[in-house]
Amino acid sequence: MNLTVFLQNVLNGLSIGSIYAIFALGYTLVFSILGIINFAHGAVFTLGAYFTYMLMGNAFGFNGLLANLALPIRLPFVLALFFGSIAAGLVSVLIERLAFCPLRRKKADSLLTVVSSLGVAVVIVNLIQYLVGAEIYTFPPDTYGTLPPAINFGTEANPIPIRSVQVVIFVVSGVIVSLLTYLINATKYGKAMRAVAEDPTTASLLGIDPDRFIVLTFFVSGFLGGLAGTLVGSSVSIAGPYFGIGFGLKGLAVIVLGGLGSIPGAVVGGLTIGLVEAFVPGDYSAYKDAVAFGILFIMLLVRPQGLLGRSLVQKV
Amino acid sequence: MQEIPLLEIQGLSVHYGGIQALQAIDLTIYPGEVVTLIGSNGAGKSTTLRAISRIVNAHQGQILYNHENITRRRPHEVVKLGIAHSPEGRRVLSRQTVLDNLELGAYTRSSRRSIQSDIEQQFRLFPRLAERKNQLAGTLSGGEQQMLAIARALMSRPKLLLLDEPSLGLAPTIVREIFTIIQNLRETGVTILLVEQNANLALQIADRGYVLETGCITLFNKASELLKDDRVRQAYLG
Ligand SMILES: Nc1ncnc2c1ncn2[C@@H]1O[C@H](COP(=O)(O)OP(=O)(O)OP(=O)(O)O)[C@@H](O)[C@H]1O
Ligand SMILES: [Mg+2]
Repeated sequence: MNLTVFLQNVLNGLSIGSIYAIFALGYTLVFSILGIINFAHGAVFTLGAYFTYMLMGNAFGFNGLLANLALPIRLPFVLALFFGSIAAGLVSVLIERLAFCPLRRKKADSLLTVVSSLGVAVVIVNLIQYLVGAEIYTFPPDTYGTLPPAINFGTEANPIPIRSVQVVIFVVSGVIVSLLTYLINATKYGKAMRAVAEDPTTASLLGIDPDRFIVLTFFVSGFLGGLAGTLVGSSVSIAGPYFGIGFGLKGLAVIVLGGLGSIPGAVVGGLTIGLVEAFVPGDYSAYKDAVAFGILFIMLLVRPQGLLGRSLVQKV
Repeated sequence: MQEIPLLEIQGLSVHYGGIQALQAIDLTIYPGEVVTLIGSNGAGKSTTLRAISRIVNAHQGQILYNHENITRRRPHEVVKLGIAHSPEGRRVLSRQTVLDNLELGAYTRSSRRSIQSDIEQQFRLFPRLAERKNQLAGTLSGGEQQMLAIARALMSRPKLLLLDEPSLGLAPTIVREIFTIIQNLRETGVTILLVEQNANLALQIADRGYVLETGCITLFNKASELLKDDRVRQAYLG
């Protein structure tokens, strides 16, 4: 393998890995506050991609209730990405209010909540199919505006071209991860959120409304899910209503690898799986997923708490 | 005695599932008082405090605070009204630092400067916390966690402070220290409801006391009278 191919693989691995990380952060946030994996997260990922697609003024296909519909607005990519992710965040809040909150109020077993979130995922997938059909949607070539297809970070003689999409992905994920880390560790509301995650009753004795932070967490989680959905959808395509399901499973591998509930864990796990996948030889690329889950199994055997997780999951 | 109560509990009953923990208790606290609630294990002392801070629901009766009915308020709302609860078993936020715990104690307040000066005030009261301000609260010793729980409750600048067994598990010298701090707090105008196993010490610093037995108030009087009462002496003062 020569250096250029090697570098190319590293770049590809880091860029898909960054998206895994953003997506997995959504799981991680909800897990750390409720101790529950939100299986509807993959469906929110899918919705985010559709929302952005729609907000850019792109039309839907021939199937489904919304056939041929196009919004009268045409937002540039960055704005559409932002508002599409906000919409995904709002859907996530709706999911929390409808599927999580009632069960929490009744102090139901967390397994029931997990099943409930799976149910929501199925409903969303079906709803998408009903509304816009099962076809693949591709973002138009001018999606990123005037950005050239690739930017040269090397010299004329030794070019290191990086696809513009990847540059967008690196910038967006870098900003997201730093911002999130700062907000959660250094601000009053971040500390309050961690207090709710550790002990909601004690948090409420300090004047913190746990419910508000749970809703906020679902919003941020959905925002990140939708963002990841758009990044994958716009750099490859939106592969139909089931788009997010496979990705959702990959995200689970990421958080288990990195450590459940750990923010740096989600980042490290995402980048690791992205990189390993990028080095799967072309002939075997159909088995990429097997590689990710292979790593997962080995991890569970040697270090069940994950790379950066707390020693054992201890949520009551 | 002052005529307008700060807290008035009327006919309060609390159940946990099928277990009745409190049966129609009445309890009144006037502004500036230190009132202690004594009773044996499982009598319902902690439950009384939990009902006031609203982390358990009242099944019957009502809780009036400053004339306002708070029986249906949510826990975070009563903190804003000026009630702070240092719960049984400390319950510090173990994954955050001492400083973060104190800052979160002031969650309902907004003036950064006065929060900062209150943190320094807590550090003067509890110098051990100052030395360990960047340590994770979960790694503090039991006694230090107790101090942190009290200091954290004070950070909301409460009008009414609910203290659940502040002396539990502490060395006698530290218990003295804590009780001195409680006495000094009264001088700053904080009203205190103190739950204690150490009835002798509690009655020495309290104005009045209530005796709770299996969910019922069986006796209440001036603390100095309770100290002399034969029934109290036999049951709680050993
Ligand atoms: N979460 C709960 N679920 C069920 N029963 C409970 C619960 N909490 C308390 N109880 C019961 O309610 C009664 C009163 O408990 P409470 O904690 O108020 O007692 P206490 O007077 O504070 O006792 P101690 O001195 O041991 O702290 C006890 O019989 C206890 O077993
Ligand atoms: Mg108790």
